[in-house]
Amino acid sequence: MNHLGDLVSALLDGELTAGERAAAEAHLAGCPDCRTEMARTAAMRSLVRGLPPIEPPFGFVEGLVRADRRRRPAAVFAAAAAVAAAVGLAVTPRSDGVAPPVGRFVEAHATATPGGDPVTNLGPPSVLPVSFRP
Amino acid sequence: MDKDEQSVPDWEEVARRYGRFIFTVAYRLTGNEADAQDLVQDVLLRVRRGLPTYRPGSMEGWLSRITTNAFLDDVRRRRRRPLEALPDEPDRVVPPSVGADEALEATALPEDVQAALIALPEDFRAAVVLSDVVGLGYAEIAESLGVPIGTVRSRIHRGRALLREALA
Repeated sequence: MNHLGDLVSALLDGELTAGERAAAEAHLAGCPDCRTEMARTAAMRSLVRGLPPIEPPFGFVEGLVRADRRRRPAAVFAAAAAVAAAVGLAVTPRSDGVAPPVGRFVEAHATATPGGDPVTNLGPPSVLPVSFRP
Repeated sequence: MDKDEQSVPDWEEVARRYGRFIFTVAYRLTGNEADAQDLVQDVLLRVRRGLPTYRPGSMEGWLSRITTNAFLDDVRRRRRRPLEALPDEPDRVVPPSVGADEALEATALPEDVQAALIALPEDFRAAVVLSDVVGLGYAEIAESLGVPIGTVRSRIHRGRALLREALA
């Protein structure tokens, strides 16, 4: 059998079939080079597996969630607005004392306006009739 | 609400619960905080689109697959051409790192290991990260990367050999 090559890692990772495994182990028993290769690969594998988890910068994930919420309400509000528009037709404005006293305003304006005819409330004409020139 | 809807998690829940996991994988792939942050952002957008079709299973497997593919897509986009991977033929024997100091390897600091990871070709790095950082099996790695299992074997073993050389 040739040297194990790529099979070294697959053997370490438990990724060989039963047949491949048996053949690989038989080869290892008689091949110091492959045993060395195996030991070195195992050491390297442990180093990578031993790398610690990494904390994202403080507030990073929460910032992404909040940014997403700010972006997404556009869609949520559009849907809500459509519903409100449909429902809104059935809703009448409230009449709780906001109607302006129009009559009183007109009266006050009429009595306070200075000059002019008291009946028509029209002032003297400020523009003379235009005469046509020949 | 039916059973399926209950088991498909909400996006914010995924972001909060797996944010550290995704960031760790992203950092191991990119090697720096700024690129890792960009990658996490990209991954969470993909997660948002993919969640409706997510089939309850290994969330970490699913997320690491998305992260790895987002990473490789970005690498390809930046280069504007396909990855120039080393040839994948499994017969190529890794040159033994003669004189490699095993004691040095054994005492390598996480920063050194990270630097060695970043020196790997991206395709090899992705396979090693999925295997040794995430802990996926070869079949799942093959599926994630869209390559045959023989290619996964080769990339993982040669990736580890290159890491050893870098740390020797």
